[in-house]
Amino acid sequence: MGAPIAPVTVRPDVRLETAPMSPVSCDTCGAAVEARKSSWEQTSIQWHAADVERCLERRAAMPPRIEGTLFAGCVSLRQALAKAVERGDLPVLADD
Amino acid sequence: MTTAPDIPRQIEADPIAQRYARGWHCLGLSQDFRDGQPHQVLAFGTKLVVWEDSDGELRVLDAFCRHMGGDLSQGTVKDGNIACPFHDWRWGGDGRCKQIPYSRRVPLRARTSAWPTLDQDGMLFVWNDPQGNPPIAEQAIPKIPGASSDEWTDWHWYSIKIDGSNCREIVDNVVDMAHFFYVHYSMPTYFKNIFEGHVATQVMNGTDRGDVAVPSDDGSTLLAVKSTASYFGPSFMIDDLVYEYDTGNFESILINCHYPVDTDSFVLQYGIIVKKPQGVSDEYASASAATMGDFIKTGFEQDVAIWQNKARIDNPLLCEEDGPVYQLRRWYQQFYTDVDAVLPEMTERFEFELDMTRPAEAWSQEVAENIARAAENESV
Repeated sequence: MGAPIAPVTVRPDVRLETAPMSPVSCDTCGAAVEARKSSWEQTSIQWHAADVERCLERRAAMPPRIEGTLFAGCVSLRQALAKAVERGDLPVLADD
Repeated sequence: MTTAPDIPRQIEADPIAQRYARGWHCLGLSQDFRDGQPHQVLAFGTKLVVWEDSDGELRVLDAFCRHMGGDLSQGTVKDGNIACPFHDWRWGGDGRCKQIPYSRRVPLRARTSAWPTLDQDGMLFVWNDPQGNPPIAEQAIPKIPGASSDEWTDWHWYSIKIDGSNCREIVDNVVDMAHFFYVHYSMPTYFKNIFEGHVATQVMNGTDRGDVAVPSDDGSTLLAVKSTASYFGPSFMIDDLVYEYDTGNFESILINCHYPVDTDSFVLQYGIIVKKPQGVSDEYASASAATMGDFIKTGFEQDVAIWQNKARIDNPLLCEEDGPVYQLRRWYQQFYTDVDAVLPEMTERFEFELDMTRPAEAWSQEVAENIARAAENESV
């Protein structure tokens, strides 16, 4: 389409330089996500497309292609994250 | 542990690309374009003309006539077409030249740019796409149930042009938890973001600050404010906003939308509808929508003062209590990227829930000090 496409660059979160995301899998569906906990109450979760498809709660809550419906999050994954913290697989920054 | 070298951090900002976001943009309330006159809209670095055709459809074309460059927005509507003030060439809403009164026939390829439109819930939208593709069906603007219901008020609408600022600044508000306390007089108690596909959501609960008057019905007490706000595409946010008072709930829908005029200015528009409380006159309900709108206006005006004086910054320095600015901008970048070059990470689901413990402590204390100071001043 004429003009060359500028290279697409996306800057990473500066906070990840010192404390990156950690891989965690859900015990229920096996979805693999990356997570980061700033504190017990503060969590980031990065999903990937295939794992969103795998999530059972998501499937139950949200038939695809309904506009405007919000899936607030997966309770099973939340529990899996808590267990990962207990196992020491998911660091909690505020505890350092 | 190694210490970082003690040098000042530099603000970085790449040049702004001369490109406008792909997606639906709301131009305003439909009714404001339905007076039989052509309307000029400066948007996307160009000039558009908007008018109502003979079928009652709102139409949008490039304003510059492809004949000799006349400004169609200075023309007139004739037989449902737009007539150029320069030589009276008639352009249809489909972008084709329909007639040249002084010529036997219309030349070949007499076609201009017609912008896809959507007239929904009382608002007019245009689809912008630098690649020229038709609207993406999955990115349709959701219908707002209250907007077409007698149980809700009409739109109370605001429009303001903001010079000297790029529209990315307002989109940043989605994640900027702390500024809601400092700039919008809110007291956030819960904050979460979810980005997925073309939708970016902010869930924010708040409470009464105590040091700033919040609009309320005849002395009732505000218990909580609950807001779920989503951008559907790059510029149109629907905020499901409920004020919970001891006397009952005040339900509203707030629209927060904008369109770029050019890369250094944009038109911010916001509007509110309110569910009419039981046993209350329509006039009273409309007045309460206006009161709420004016309160929100104060916050936006303070945003504007910040935007017009701040630096554009691509490498913000963040603390842990800040929201996911980088991830939001990664999401926002999809609208400035050719469809086939959009990276998976721009649209893949991302969740961020903020720990409000420390902000709540700090702000409770600040509010208490403000109240104490105000009481002291009163007693003097």
